[in-house]
Amino acid sequence: MKSNLLGRLLTHTFLILVGLACLLPLLFSLKIALEPTRFAFQAPTWDWHDPSLEHFIEVIQRQDLLLPNWFVNSLFLSSTIVILQLSIVTTAAYGFARLTFPGRNFLFMLLLFTMMVPGQVTMIPVYTMIRDLKLLDNYLGLILPAMANVFGLFMIRQFFLGIPRDFEEAAMIDGAGRWRTLFVVMLPQVRAGLVALGILTFLGSWNDLFWPLIVMNKLEMRTLPVGLTVLNGSYGAERALVMAGAFFSIVPALILYGIFQKRIIQGSMLSGLGGR
Amino acid sequence: MLKPKSWRTGRYIAGNYLFILPFLAFFLAFTAIPIVQAVFMSLFDWPMLGKKRNFIGLQNFIKLMDDGIWWQALRNTLFFAAMTAGGLTAFSLFVSLQLNKRGNGRNLYRFLFYIPVVLSVAARGIVIGWSVSTQYGLVNALLGTIGIPQINWLGEKELVIPTLAIATLWWGFGGPMLIYLAGLQGIPKQLYEAAEIDGASQFTTTRKITLPLMAPSIFFVLVTQVIAHIQVFGQSYLITGGGPGRESYTSIFYLYQTAWRYYRMGYGSSIAISLAVIILVLTLFQFVVNRRRNEVEY
Repeated sequence: MKSNLLGRLLTHTFLILVGLACLLPLLFSLKIALEPTRFAFQAPTWDWHDPSLEHFIEVIQRQDLLLPNWFVNSLFLSSTIVILQLSIVTTAAYGFARLTFPGRNFLFMLLLFTMMVPGQVTMIPVYTMIRDLKLLDNYLGLILPAMANVFGLFMIRQFFLGIPRDFEEAAMIDGAGRWRTLFVVMLPQVRAGLVALGILTFLGSWNDLFWPLIVMNKLEMRTLPVGLTVLNGSYGAERALVMAGAFFSIVPALILYGIFQKRIIQGSMLSGLGGR
Repeated sequence: MLKPKSWRTGRYIAGNYLFILPFLAFFLAFTAIPIVQAVFMSLFDWPMLGKKRNFIGLQNFIKLMDDGIWWQALRNTLFFAAMTAGGLTAFSLFVSLQLNKRGNGRNLYRFLFYIPVVLSVAARGIVIGWSVSTQYGLVNALLGTIGIPQINWLGEKELVIPTLAIATLWWGFGGPMLIYLAGLQGIPKQLYEAAEIDGASQFTTTRKITLPLMAPSIFFVLVTQVIAHIQVFGQSYLITGGGPGRESYTSIFYLYQTAWRYYRMGYGSSIAISLAVIILVLTLFQFVVNRRRNEVEY
């Protein structure tokens, strides 16, 4: 069993090194945020130099940054998009899974086809539309285009298809209508799917850069990633401040990940892309 | 299949549309119609401001074929995508094989490895931008302890795309790892037990049993990752700004520059559509592969 022990040692050494590679850049970034600015312009060392929350407080208070606004914008937008998108997607998924109406197959094929068209194609037309509707620098400019999540529709529909029809028939016999059947009988059974999609949508929206970057221009309307990007570009000399700002985006994502680890991993497996 | 009868009658059919109506409205307004519009716009000289829009047929595409920046951006993008997707496919597979071997601490490792995946591109960009910076960066400091002189990771023509690819590997390998782990769990234990009885070494077992059975997953990961990373934007925008020179211009970065820096919507649309055609071909390819993957039986 000697070779087995050696093999195990090698494997764990490798895994620990990979784990360190994942964590070290983040930990050292945190160190920069906690130390006085001058240490950001020295090669990183393992020693601590007067750690304090000074940069975190400064980045919140600076009137030319409005980081609290960005944080609230991101939180508000992500939550709103999750709630609205889930409602719209779920009812439609149920419609496509269980209800009949003329043109259902045609519409379904149309959705399937557009899923193959990459998102960049629609960016310019959607942008000009948002602009013509005077929705630039408006929450709706980010919310409206995020509603029809075709991938989400397919995912939730798949969950509905997995439920035996007996449940609906029993509900029907008891006199429940379609809406009541959906909300009272069906929804509790696809909860796992809804939670997974909800978290994926939240993280996707919380972390999104391209779309908020072109829709939100005003300082106070920016989302956290857009604000951070601008901060990074124009305050290069204040690296510690920028790092402190970055952790306002990192920490909530980590908390969410810590709480919903299983769901996130499950959802990423379902989506097939496993995040990007 | 028995269906509740009354849901099929006329009044109900109209009501059934209500379920899909909100989704359909948003889908038409923000996906279906804009796709048609994008094709339409690419046939025009369409400045962002002002009402003057001239129909110019395929001129935008003809110009694009002659556009050195477009080709350079495409070359950079394909180089980046191939390197990142190839690296991710192989590295994630190796990691998941190691994880699958050992029960001890598997969930902890999996938890750690997925952390960079949940961070925003902006946060990763800031962290990576500092980590690979020449003078004060973490990477050069660590390399310095074993005597390697400072390397200008983002300033050298030959290094910038590989550096961005490795950075992307760092923050993305947790995703494919999960897909592999799911696939590895699906391989029946009896196969390994039989191999052990026959006295096969671990290396042989991996080569003759695991890898062939994982081949569909590997292929799936490779193609989906190529598609995902052809759409690279944040790395160039945040970390290098496209530089040095235009060495890290990517297709979407060029699209962004054209449409939102130089306000040329028509030309931008022709970039978007050309890129879309490339991605569409890959996606169709992936659909075929994916169908095969779902047919695998053990």
